[in-house]
Amino acid sequence: MENKNIELTENDMSVAGNVKHKGRGPQFVIYLGKLLRMFIYQSDWKVLPMAAVIAALVCYVVGDNLFKTMEGTLLGCFAVSCICIWNGFFNSIQVICRERAIIKREHRSGMHISSYVAAHMVYQAILCLGQTLVTMQVFFLMHVQFPTISLVTGIPVVDIGITIFLTTYAADMLSLMISAFVRSTTTAMTVMPFLLIFQLVFSGGFFQLHGTALTFTNFTVAKWGLTALCTQADYNSLPMVSLWNSMEKMREVEIEGQQPIKELLAVAEEQDMKEQILLECAKNNQNEKYAATQDNLLNCWAKLLLFIVLFSCLAVGALEYVDRDKR
Amino acid sequence: MTIMDIIGSDVFRRVFFYLLSAVGLYGILKKCGKKPWQAFIPLLRYYYLAAAVKKEKEGRVYVLLTVFQLAIDYMTDLIQKGNPDPVNDRNYLLFVALGLVVVLCLMLYVIRIDAAICEKFGKRKRWIWLLEFAEGITYIYFGWSKKVQPVITDEEETEGARVSGAVIDVMKDGLTVNIEKRTAKVQYKERVLLKDIHLAIPKGHMVLLLGGSGAGKTTFLNAVTGYEKADANIMLGGRDLYREYESMKYDVGFVPQQDLVRLNDNVRLTLADAATLRLPGNISRKEREKRVNEVLEEFGLAPLAGTLVEKLSGGQRKRLSIAMEYISNPSLFILDEPDSGLDGVVARGLFEKLRDIADQGKIVIVITHTPDRVIDLFDDVIVLAKDVDRTGRLAFYGTVDESYRFFDKTGMEQILRSINQKDEGGEGRATEFVERYAGKLMPAEG
Repeated sequence: MENKNIELTENDMSVAGNVKHKGRGPQFVIYLGKLLRMFIYQSDWKVLPMAAVIAALVCYVVGDNLFKTMEGTLLGCFAVSCICIWNGFFNSIQVICRERAIIKREHRSGMHISSYVAAHMVYQAILCLGQTLVTMQVFFLMHVQFPTISLVTGIPVVDIGITIFLTTYAADMLSLMISAFVRSTTTAMTVMPFLLIFQLVFSGGFFQLHGTALTFTNFTVAKWGLTALCTQADYNSLPMVSLWNSMEKMREVEIEGQQPIKELLAVAEEQDMKEQILLECAKNNQNEKYAATQDNLLNCWAKLLLFIVLFSCLAVGALEYVDRDKR
Repeated sequence: MTIMDIIGSDVFRRVFFYLLSAVGLYGILKKCGKKPWQAFIPLLRYYYLAAAVKKEKEGRVYVLLTVFQLAIDYMTDLIQKGNPDPVNDRNYLLFVALGLVVVLCLMLYVIRIDAAICEKFGKRKRWIWLLEFAEGITYIYFGWSKKVQPVITDEEETEGARVSGAVIDVMKDGLTVNIEKRTAKVQYKERVLLKDIHLAIPKGHMVLLLGGSGAGKTTFLNAVTGYEKADANIMLGGRDLYREYESMKYDVGFVPQQDLVRLNDNVRLTLADAATLRLPGNISRKEREKRVNEVLEEFGLAPLAGTLVEKLSGGQRKRLSIAMEYISNPSLFILDEPDSGLDGVVARGLFEKLRDIADQGKIVIVITHTPDRVIDLFDDVIVLAKDVDRTGRLAFYGTVDESYRFFDKTGMEQILRSINQKDEGGEGRATEFVERYAGKLMPAEG
């Protein structure tokens, strides 16, 4: 073969020498653009109708007593937290790991991991905001009675919306972080159910936990989401109906030829004491952590924001090591 | 307290069995060529033992699990002290359940390590029982009996092919590679992946990188591009690539084997984004668009500009993948099996395109597993081979014709067969050629 030595100018050989390339800002715009295109081409928009369906199902089951009674509120708020966590997890659990090899290639070509993760954060925030709006709309359509007091913004619905958004987004960032740590979609989908169960079991409100297990609840998104919702619902001033309902069921019970429960209920109804009894029952079941104060709500939001920042930083940290991936 | 009380005490029993095992382990580690004093380090000694019998990963997990188990024991003790009826305590039960899981895992790892000890000393698997239930005595037997000796494998016994020690003079208009060695930690143990590779490629050359599986082709390319730095000196156009990596990385185009492009984006936007990332920041949008259009035309992608990547054929996708690197007009262009999955005609077309790129004054290095069908397009060939240490070594660098003469073969695939190991269906002559080529380089040093 003939030797093809070709003389090039100095400039050709040092085309990139000492020349600045696009920094984090423009790279963030590139990746955000890519992700927004994915919304259309990769059918990411499907998460919005999915959120509507899930919200409708939950409303159908627990919507009647949500924000009306203590039990219904606790159950309903737990279900709403679950919706948020479910939506958040599914938004991002695969988004990074499925293109890990591409990230490795682009990192080699000068991509800044922080720009990439920041683009994902903004994109996921848009998705979570969309899901929050859809969920709230479904709640309205299903005639869920929202709380009438606002602790922060002055508009109760906005307070609830912020809580739903922050809970969804914190869960989203948690799964984004998992997606950055794991190397395949299979691993991500294997880890996800465990995370989900951990979040639900250690939500700290619905399941009775003690001692060390109770400490774990502080590290779950579910706990702060649930606490924020119960705080906004003014849980502690709601009536408790469990005892009354149980007594209703036992109305016909006879003791030594008499029906004391029936008589008691009759007296209570005659003297219009039902509400009073329900509130008295509730008094004994109030929970300090659900106190309807602005500080309490802001504390919950702060914790969720802390999770968001922490998870996204960990995602950046994990991805910085993408070059170590083997072929 | 009488002597019998001391002998019967729990502490004495623990210390006695600990020392018994340690004495045995001392002998085992010594026989395996490891530091024998490590046998006395609590806990970690099992890691060293596992490492000595080539089960480092298991040893590591064993140590971690043991630490975990100790933590669980501590927690259960704590709960027991604070609660007279711990059986009804949920936390206690949780830790007990966790402890059981850890113990089961520990047993599994101990069996794995014991099996490796038996294998190392050429003993049957039934010895695992003795290692398990009479650990100290069995360790002493393995460690101190002259009848029991570790089996030395061929790999452990041999030494690598000789090293040339040459250093190639820097070629101002080209790529100069002087790799002393490239090492990597494999399970906490340093392993030499590449050694003694010295060559200089002039501008405008298209070079074939040939080597069997595991010969270190990709490792070599990663070292040359500065992506995974080696103990080396890599000069591109008179500039030190390692020292100026951050600015020079844009001057090196690396096209990976897989088409790592996002499928749900269209061709033009994929290239435009690549251009924004790779081209200098001071280039205007107009110039960037012009460059994108040029590259689209050059790679025959202009008619497909608006098409989604997932709709492209294999060949079109490969061209796009190459175009993404080519867009920054790099001086050094490296392609890892660009023809994989392409039919002969499409592959030939692709290599002709690469020849055009080389003719523009670029250095093009290509790995391919079907070299003979396109060998007429190449100027030079680099042959990498595994020596007896399984280290990637340079078996040849020169023109295609010289390579035929050096290996006394008429085709690249024949050359590959001659350097491949016998268990890979080759002739197993890698060390011979590595040494012969090293010998050729040696006089050049003087």
